[in-house]
Amino acid sequence: MAALDGFRDQLVQVVLYDGRVIVGKLKGNDNFCNLILSDSVEREYSSDKGVEMIPLGLYMIKGDNIALIGQVDEDKDGSLDYSEVMAEPLAEIRY
Amino acid sequence: MLIFSFFKTLTDQVITVELKNDLCITGTLKSVDQFLNIRLDGIRVEDPERHPHMLAVKNVFIRGSVVRYVRMAARAVDTTLLEDATRREAHNTGK
Amino acid sequence: MEDAVNATISEPLDIVKLSLGERVFMKMRGDRTITGTLHAYDAHMNVVLSNVEESIHIVDVNEDGIPQAPRVERRSLEMLFVRGDGVILLSPTQ
Repeated sequence: MAALDGFRDQLVQVVLYDGRVIVGKLKGNDNFCNLILSDSVEREYSSDKGVEMIPLGLYMIKGDNIALIGQVDEDKDGSLDYSEVMAEPLAEIRY
Repeated sequence: MLIFSFFKTLTDQVITVELKNDLCITGTLKSVDQFLNIRLDGIRVEDPERHPHMLAVKNVFIRGSVVRYVRMAARAVDTTLLEDATRREAHNTGK
Repeated sequence: MEDAVNATISEPLDIVKLSLGERVFMKMRGDRTITGTLHAYDAHMNVVLSNVEESIHIVDVNEDGIPQAPRVERRSLEMLFVRGDGVILLSPTQ
């Protein structure tokens, strides 16, 4: 998909329909929004403790489950202390 | 087709996309496609306290299917032109 | 009058076409209602509205699981695109 061209080989944050957040390097995509992410990590948010980083490795994510794809500012991401960030997980997509 | 063209006229305007998980993302509209997938650059989230999940994200690609509303400035839209285009499209498609 | 209306309305979207430039009421999924001036629509019922008033109808539940009295959250928006998949009905307002 043309709109994703600039995201190739960049660190991206994918938000899924169920509210999960996965961050990884975008290695490939197609017209269905299917993605290949390398060195991906799930970021699990909770309201009573910091963000938990769960390593997932190489992932192929089916486009149907994807709500949005964000290009991560790596400098800003590196400067944030995620062990201090507390928030409810994102809600699932309902209506 | 009409709404796709409508969004193309909003390119480079600042708009707010409200998702079906209540996340509201404001940014500059960079591109839109036939599925009404939206590319926003230089984004910020409406309530960063509640939604810190996007803090390090600068540009996003949003799946059209997760959009609930798109809010924009009234001056960004020529309503007379838009109504004329709608009538023309309705006439041409028999709808 | 009725005949004139019937002559121009033969399918559901004709109601929407006749409402172009007029105030409309829309019922949405997620217990939302919207009124606004209709400027564009398509076959999916994607619409563009101006001078929009949105109401969200909320029933809070307390700690004991007892539903509280319904309340309404309102907001005004100057220009709004509404995606058609959330639309339940559209009606011209007088």
